[in-house]
Amino acid sequence: MSSLVLAAAAEPQVHLTSQTRIVAAVIAIFFMFLILDLIRRDRLQERYSVIWFVAGLGMLAGAAFPGLLELLADAMGVRNTNVALFSVVLLLLLGLALNFSVIMSRQAAQITRLAQERAIEQAREDSAEQSNRNGSTGEQPLQPEEKRL
Amino acid sequence: MRTLVFIPAWNEEASVAEVIADVRKELPGADVLVVDDGSGDATAERAREAGALVASLPFNQGLGAALQTGYLYALRNGYDACAHLDADGQHPPEEVVRLLDEVTAGRADLVIGSRYHSGAVAASGDYRPTFSRRIGISVFRFFLTLATRQRFTDTTSGMRAANRRVMALFSQHYSPDFAEIESLQLAVRQGLRVEELPVRMLERAGGSSFLTPVRSAFFIFKGLVVLLVGQFRPRQAEAER
Repeated sequence: MSSLVLAAAAEPQVHLTSQTRIVAAVIAIFFMFLILDLIRRDRLQERYSVIWFVAGLGMLAGAAFPGLLELLADAMGVRNTNVALFSVVLLLLLGLALNFSVIMSRQAAQITRLAQERAIEQAREDSAEQSNRNGSTGEQPLQPEEKRL
Repeated sequence: MRTLVFIPAWNEEASVAEVIADVRKELPGADVLVVDDGSGDATAERAREAGALVASLPFNQGLGAALQTGYLYALRNGYDACAHLDADGQHPPEEVVRLLDEVTAGRADLVIGSRYHSGAVAASGDYRPTFSRRIGISVFRFFLTLATRQRFTDTTSGMRAANRRVMALFSQHYSPDFAEIESLQLAVRQGLRVEELPVRMLERAGGSSFLTPVRSAFFIFKGLVVLLVGQFRPRQAEAER
């Protein structure tokens, strides 16, 4: 009994049947076509699509060559290839989500600055109007201390 | 010496005109700018009628972004000093005059009007914080003092006066979420002279505080994270030298 367990533990466990491989490959190809279509219809910018293409190719490679998964599991020191697969995918998704948060923060800052610029421009017009009425000078040159965002 | 007094306002149509009138009376030489933070009411119209310049943000961006707009306007238009106060009538403009005097005399780069400073005079109708607010205040006071090695009593005061060095810094870096506290930490870290002056503040005219116990706890937690992160920000002045 114990020798059986040991033998089972020593064997790398491959749970991918040819059926799951075909399904995975089909999904990967469908996914890449979806990305292409989104770019074609201007719904996705190229610079944000690269990472998704890489993900699609990775999926396809995993389906075509299950040996890659075993290599990956070996490299990670994990006996079960499924665990290796899930942890790698999870980490990738975590990284992507973080990447999007960074992009979102940058865009939020840009939107805020845009709103501020518009508000200031408007206040300047107010000011010019007021000084026209009072007959004094209005506009001031841009100040040198300021740096670009 | 050109001075700008700016007033961040969000849906303050009831009180903004009176605040502007008071400021113009106390500081006849200063320009008054109302930063309308995407108000849905007639705040901008009331402010214009009262003779103030109005910078309207197209949508509500939060107090930090509104204050930054004021600093940016002051910097761009060559003002030597600027000050801001709340639009709800809590801040008496004659106290703003005292803050501005400190800045124009060159004694400090940034002056904070403090409600809790030992020198603040107590009078009837004066500001008195609620219990949950007092806890938050002392927690922030403790940690900000720890972070800056400088004693601050009123970390969330919205009555301040500043010179051009501060305008240049704040128009570039101003946290939208924890504007008051983080900006103090930032200014001290950048080597600016920050000073507190005891001032008299009034009870807010209308509306109650938005803080429930759970919200206060979350607010404090968030503030502590912001302060901690702020300790690891690069010191710009040193990096550029």
